[in-house]
Amino acid sequence: MIGLVFTGCHSYLLDDAQFDLRDSFTAADYQSSEELLKKFKKKDIYRSKDQVLYNLESGMIYHFSNKYDSSSFYLSNAENEIDQNYTKSVSRGVGAFLTNDNKLVYDGEPYEDVYLNAFKALNFIHLQDWDAALVETRRMTHKMTQLDVKIKGLASSFAKSDSTGKTDWETGDVNIQNSAMGHYLSTVLYAKAGDIDDARIEREKLEIALKEQANLSSGRNHVKSDLSKLQNPNSYNVLLAGFTGRAPYKVQEDARVFMDDYDDKKDDEFYLKFSFPVLKTYHSEVNYVRAVVNDSITTQLDLIEQMDKVSAEVYKAKQPIIYSRALVRASTKAIGTKLISGAVREKNEFLGDLLQILGFIAQETTEKADLRSWQTMPGQSWMKTIKLPEGINTVRIEYIGRNGRVRYFDEFEVTITPNTELELVESIYAN
Amino acid sequence: MKYSLLTGLLLAFVLVGCRPSQKITRINPNTTTDLSGKWNDTDARLVAEEMITDALSKPWLNQFNRNNQKPPVVIVGRVRNESMEHIETEVFTKELERSFVNSGEISVVASSEERADIRDERLDQQANASYETTKKLGQELGADFMLIGNINSIVDEAVDSRTLAVFYTVNLEFVNIQTNQKVWIGNKKIKKFIERRNYRGMP
Repeated sequence: MIGLVFTGCHSYLLDDAQFDLRDSFTAADYQSSEELLKKFKKKDIYRSKDQVLYNLESGMIYHFSNKYDSSSFYLSNAENEIDQNYTKSVSRGVGAFLTNDNKLVYDGEPYEDVYLNAFKALNFIHLQDWDAALVETRRMTHKMTQLDVKIKGLASSFAKSDSTGKTDWETGDVNIQNSAMGHYLSTVLYAKAGDIDDARIEREKLEIALKEQANLSSGRNHVKSDLSKLQNPNSYNVLLAGFTGRAPYKVQEDARVFMDDYDDKKDDEFYLKFSFPVLKTYHSEVNYVRAVVNDSITTQLDLIEQMDKVSAEVYKAKQPIIYSRALVRASTKAIGTKLISGAVREKNEFLGDLLQILGFIAQETTEKADLRSWQTMPGQSWMKTIKLPEGINTVRIEYIGRNGRVRYFDEFEVTITPNTELELVESIYAN
Repeated sequence: MKYSLLTGLLLAFVLVGCRPSQKITRINPNTTTDLSGKWNDTDARLVAEEMITDALSKPWLNQFNRNNQKPPVVIVGRVRNESMEHIETEVFTKELERSFVNSGEISVVASSEERADIRDERLDQQANASYETTKKLGQELGADFMLIGNINSIVDEAVDSRTLAVFYTVNLEFVNIQTNQKVWIGNKKIKKFIERRNYRGMP
């Protein structure tokens, strides 16, 4: 039991580390974030089972430090590991039910697997490698369409290996199958590559994706720009991208059941505690994002993807599996405690009672929800294409709060030459 | 003495245990090494072999030779990667160039990326090289055909992700630069079936 308690300590350390990393990233001091992450790794807080997380966080920190090759390296590692670990999750079935989720290798949330490709695509656009960026947006599209299949596949593998037959391994429906950000980037990239037909198809999918998202939250999806202009490669030479908010975070919820038939028979007492993670979205203080070009022209960016809302929707489909696993695990522990303490009580009442109490304590201390998730992922993405004149231009991305005041801004110098086809200006305000 | 020996053995055991376990063996480049199931050198080689044989054996080449009394001049254009993997198309386009040049049946000129440096050098020569060795401007060999193409892939994955089939199709075409006529279209299809076994080790 002491062993179990100590093993559980590590997951609390990781929870704190995730919290610290999120705070550091939000302060936009990416050098400190990089050092902090390395420190956690050195202290063995991010262990090999948490490698996916380490790679996701590294990928994002390097991305916003303008180290695009390094960012893609870590995000690719995360993607490969998610793929391998998912297969591992499916293979182990219910075999690992008695194990605390925190001790299992982290296989990434399905939404994390999708959005890592978005940032890889942006890395490649910064590096002017559009073919490679399109590979990433295609992967996003493929993964989005496979979400439902993937989540149902996980449920089906658990159902197959669950010999008790008492658990209903149902999943929720995934009501979103398109990433607006992925289709937006694809439209721009195909248009710039001269594939006007592919650009048109992607723009149509973009509109479908925006409608899907509008159903997730009332009134916030307000794309004011004429999206058909994205298909015309000559109408823009700069892509503005602003990210706001923070990734959804997981909090632990506990459920406790105590049954006693009040006839003073200790055998009838049954105590069950189970803990499960619930995904919460962070409320961004940004109302909208605008760009001020050369201190004269102001244009508002469109809210293209509510990454936090999409993530929550995808997670909702997986949540029944998480509940079922937590319940099966906790029930098994509770029944085991009851059987053992009951058998001992027949021979020695005191020892039986003691074991029962220790069993209760063990349930309290070892039940802990797995709160691991990608901390540095933003909450919303805003985009807009503009055409800048040749020469050196200044572009200021401003984040406007609900009171209409500028909460934060980032200023860029953008050089446009006769050969400039597409420059990406990217900024983040993770608040 | 006995303790020293035991300590020495233990130390040796620990040191041997600490040695890196990496082992490197040089193997024949033609050996098939399918490790991840992703596109690899074997796929690029298969594409190059098929395309070279096909391009050099089809009638367009003899027709051009007959009509022009010279081998066609080819430039390698863009081979677009439209798949879901990062594929370095230059691995097989370079192989094609090498085979064309070495066959003597097709002449190859530098691609747009390659010739920028060569033009810079030629311009530099005008100012800095001796008169006898300076290369003239405006004497480049114009290409008759451009090699263009694309790679597409279709991924079909089982619900549990443990088996998947990947289908690649590579298309290469010679397009007449004067007339836009396509004189040769080569195609290579590769299908892979990937089975992932149960993982051992960490849960």
